[in-house]
Amino acid sequence: MASEQQQEIQQVLKRAMDQGLISRRQFLQAMATAGLGLAGVSVLGACAAPAAPPPAAATAVPAAATAVPAAATAVPAATTASTTERLLTPTFYQWIMDLHPSIPDFNKSFGDVNAQIAPVEGFNVARFVAEAKNQESTWDVYVGVTPFVEMGDLIKSGAIEPWDPYIPKEVLDDMIPSIREEGSIDGKLYSWPFFLDIIVQAYNSDITNKAGIPDTAPVDWDEYLANAKKVLDSGAARYGATFDAHGWRSLAPITHSISTDVYYMLEGDKSGQPLFDFEHPAAVQALEIMKQMLDLSSANALQPGATDGGVNQTPDEVAFGAQNVAYYVKYQNAPLRFAQRWTNPDALRIGALPKAKGGAGSTVFWTTGAALFKYGKNKEKAAEYMKALTYSPQIWKDSIGGTAASHPGQLPPYTSIYNEWKANPPDFLTANPWVQVVFGQLPIAKAIPNNPFGLNQFVIGQPIWETYLKGEEKDPKVAMAATKKAVAEAVLKAQ
Amino acid sequence: MASTTLSPAVARAHARRRTLRENINWLFVIPALIFFIGYSLYPIIQVFAISFTDYKYLNVTDPTHFIGLQNYIDALQDVKFQQGIWRAVYFTILFLPGVIFIPLFVAILVDRVKNRRLATIYRVILLIPAVIPGPMIFILWRWMYDYEIGPINVILVDTLHLFTFRNAPQWVGDSPLSIPAIAMMEWWWGLGYHTMFFLAGLASIPHEMTEAARVDGANEWNLFWKVTLPRLRPIMLILVVLRFGTAMAVIEEFIIMGGLNSAMPTYTWTVYMWHTAFSLGSWPQGYAAAMGWLGALSMLAVVAFLFWVFRDQDSK
Repeated sequence: MASEQQQEIQQVLKRAMDQGLISRRQFLQAMATAGLGLAGVSVLGACAAPAAPPPAAATAVPAAATAVPAAATAVPAATTASTTERLLTPTFYQWIMDLHPSIPDFNKSFGDVNAQIAPVEGFNVARFVAEAKNQESTWDVYVGVTPFVEMGDLIKSGAIEPWDPYIPKEVLDDMIPSIREEGSIDGKLYSWPFFLDIIVQAYNSDITNKAGIPDTAPVDWDEYLANAKKVLDSGAARYGATFDAHGWRSLAPITHSISTDVYYMLEGDKSGQPLFDFEHPAAVQALEIMKQMLDLSSANALQPGATDGGVNQTPDEVAFGAQNVAYYVKYQNAPLRFAQRWTNPDALRIGALPKAKGGAGSTVFWTTGAALFKYGKNKEKAAEYMKALTYSPQIWKDSIGGTAASHPGQLPPYTSIYNEWKANPPDFLTANPWVQVVFGQLPIAKAIPNNPFGLNQFVIGQPIWETYLKGEEKDPKVAMAATKKAVAEAVLKAQ
Repeated sequence: MASTTLSPAVARAHARRRTLRENINWLFVIPALIFFIGYSLYPIIQVFAISFTDYKYLNVTDPTHFIGLQNYIDALQDVKFQQGIWRAVYFTILFLPGVIFIPLFVAILVDRVKNRRLATIYRVILLIPAVIPGPMIFILWRWMYDYEIGPINVILVDTLHLFTFRNAPQWVGDSPLSIPAIAMMEWWWGLGYHTMFFLAGLASIPHEMTEAARVDGANEWNLFWKVTLPRLRPIMLILVVLRFGTAMAVIEEFIIMGGLNSAMPTYTWTVYMWHTAFSLGSWPQGYAAAMGWLGALSMLAVVAFLFWVFRDQDSK
């Protein structure tokens, strides 16, 4: 009888270890606790032969989820040890801590949290992947994942697992459907959404007033460009309009304003996720709009940013922050942050992205969320933490209303929060009418699909489509065809 | 004089002690050896091994295959790699003279300061940039070179009115000035450090030698070319070899100043290698390793050539 129990325990532990729920060390500890020390060593020895790579996260996860309770009941001592070995250890992308100074206060109030800054400059997740390869993780949850950017790499490498077994159903149901879909692959939620950003237009009304332009947001690109030219011609500012040269922040949203049907499945791409069709007429038209904007922009608009591997603190941000440009295309949190330092912060206006005449009038949205490390610990606690963090009223009050330190203006992902605000509008909301403008874009906005090349397609393509913007290539169609070809080649090479 | 004869047992004991004394030195080498093997040799061998495979870091489910020299063949035919090597060569050509001749000139000037306190002050001032951590230097100069708010352009446009903000120089990014601008930053950063090398070399030249040359009628110019420069040749060799290696392999500065856009002049082979290994596609590290080895081998060839150029001609 005792032997049967021991065998059962051994099998449960072995399964838990195979599924990555416990490490080899924890396996041995648990076996020793159950009086099966030597047997554990022999099991490990048998497993050690050709180190089988961990199974693809997406398929392995459901089994792991169901195995958890069994392992927990079989060896309570071992699992208790694994969850109490360290405090809940979330790791945050640096910018989140910079923009949201209320997070450390939240962590203190939540208690027993060892929050750290993630080593992910320029979206690089090499450290997470390296740890996952060793079936370990220094952290439990990564707050800073953007689905189309690095989520694919993290899933592919087996570094993260879905939240579904841990996230409360009411939280899942409360997520705005398009946001939930954005953070999911094959119906499983990998990115617990936190901050919503939508690409919009912003303008400096002090400059546009000086140029004699009515204080309303341009409705279409023709009006936008005409106004920007008026600013430049009148000398009201150094530049008329600017944009961020990174494709996911300019080319994709401007394309979406014309059409959202601009993604295609590349034959041979095993990801099952579509890619941006650079050759689509809407994308070509968007590039032409960018070219016209560039003529009204600072000469360095295509240059890389100063931080984060060139991704952030880009020239458009410097120009808009220094009040040198009137019109601006970017996610809402950028103009809000820079206007806070203006001589007249009230001059900031935010509007929907201009439409193309007869176009879809859409834009791009994304959320920054949290990923659950497969080899992390404290998974239930991590879910509890994320729920409390993402519903924290103080964080949303500070995000929307701003603090002395920053005005990130990022929006929550939950329906119930908006419903509550609608029923009882808080002061910080009524004082910031841009929230309704920005949030109003969400129903028509579209996320960039979660292909593993979601971000890299724009990184690879940028130098090629920019040949048109720089005048090296006269025909935008040729530039975009070359871009599509280069991206397709890179995707197929990576299979 | 009395002589003593050691008994065989004592003589053996002495011999043992001597052997131990002579060999115990090897014990002290062990820690360094462990670090060398663990942090240098093992990674080098590992990178060499994976350069012959199709190893992709993110593909945890797919097996890795031995593909022979395919990565090397692909890398040699890869336009981005070729372009990246030439960009690094261009940077090195600009960078090396500045880290040799400017510090040499400064060292000769500082060496002639007779007031010891003043000479120390000069040395300390020169060394200040060398003790500032690299990333701080890069961020500082990134700001200096900023198109919009950088002090250089603000002076050129607002103070000197030489340009407008529509045509002001672009010091970073996709501009012909970006590589020279980074080379200038490196000259400034390394000036004090490299000057110290030459000051040490100058201090080793016997005073009598220069005095004798002066007595023989040598002027300052002759003194520099015939006495000082030949004696500094070993220092120059060390600097040229060290700085050639670092110049060809610069990466942080290029990523901070130019990001990961392959059109930028700062997208050299090292940036491409890193980008390939840790960001692009499935992170094909086998291919990136081959690029690394090709870059390293070409650098080794140049270093061998430099050793030949700076060989000791006194021994001829």
